[in-house]
Amino acid sequence: MSAAGLGGRRALITGASRGIGRAAATALAAEGVRVAINYARSDAEAAAVVESIRAHGGVAEPVKADVADSQAIGAMFDHLKRCWGGIDILVNNAAATHDGYLMMLSDSAWDDVLATNLRGAFVCARHAVRSMIAGHWGRVINVISPAGIVGKDGAANYAASKGGLLSMGKSLAREVARYGITVNAVCPGLIDTQLIATLPAPTREQYLGQIPIQRFGTPEEVADAIAFLASERARYITGATLTVDGGLTMI
Amino acid sequence: MILRCETRQNEETILDRNELKLRLKRLLVDGLKLESVDPNDIQDAEPIFVEGLGLDSIDALELVVLVEEQLGVVIPDEEVGKLAFASINALADYILANQPAGAGA
Repeated sequence: MSAAGLGGRRALITGASRGIGRAAATALAAEGVRVAINYARSDAEAAAVVESIRAHGGVAEPVKADVADSQAIGAMFDHLKRCWGGIDILVNNAAATHDGYLMMLSDSAWDDVLATNLRGAFVCARHAVRSMIAGHWGRVINVISPAGIVGKDGAANYAASKGGLLSMGKSLAREVARYGITVNAVCPGLIDTQLIATLPAPTREQYLGQIPIQRFGTPEEVADAIAFLASERARYITGATLTVDGGLTMI
Repeated sequence: MILRCETRQNEETILDRNELKLRLKRLLVDGLKLESVDPNDIQDAEPIFVEGLGLDSIDALELVVLVEEQLGVVIPDEEVGKLAFASINALADYILANQPAGAGA
């Protein structure tokens, strides 16, 4: 057992082929957790994550499923149940964006983002909680966004999905607390992923000026917060939001 | 899906309704840790949750999981749950009607 008390646990991380999901899977695997690497599209990226974790002595398996597809989620959980008997830790990280000002936003741009970010997380949690109740232990960690708390112009669909994910998590936290299951949110600020890397230099500078710690965060720093919430040390924390943003929002 | 594994097989066939009802009562008492309740005192026709045993509807979540784990019968949603947990009789009937493929007569 590692210091985090997670040795032998089983985790599913959605959207784990890159960015924060990849870092979270890597961090949990380093604590002795068996990690299922969920991804929707890139077999090669997911295989690279699995290989990297295995090279460091961890246990990782790729599980392909688009979380916007509830049937695919069902098949993924059936598979995890047959193989591992269920999961103990769910990290709802998979997310999509389809930006546009609300006045110009199509129904499909709204529905697609909500289907992945909110319904996908809900369906994953619905499956996961069954095996967590069986084991009287569980962790659900939802990756949200400052947009879900303070809104974001040009991304009402994304903001609504993240705000919904936050309150869905709090509701679930109340329902399953008696079974040793905690449900929390991690709220990353501006993290140095592909999105930030492609911004024009003046925009990057403008963003940096708003961060008291004066740099973008790393996926690993968000993963550290996720690994903490998954650990035994966080056993009395539920319904909480852990903000990891260098002081950007202080909410 | 790339993960490889073997199918777990821990469900067994249940044929006798009275035997099943007693088993369900024991499952309730042991699974939900109703230490002061004698399984034989649980009435067949009374609602399992909210009244009678003093269990609330969140306790039902664990019974859903126990029924699936131990009897291989899935109670998929709230609507089915309300019917199945109406009484021990109702739960036994639901289980007998929904046993896993290969089980039963």
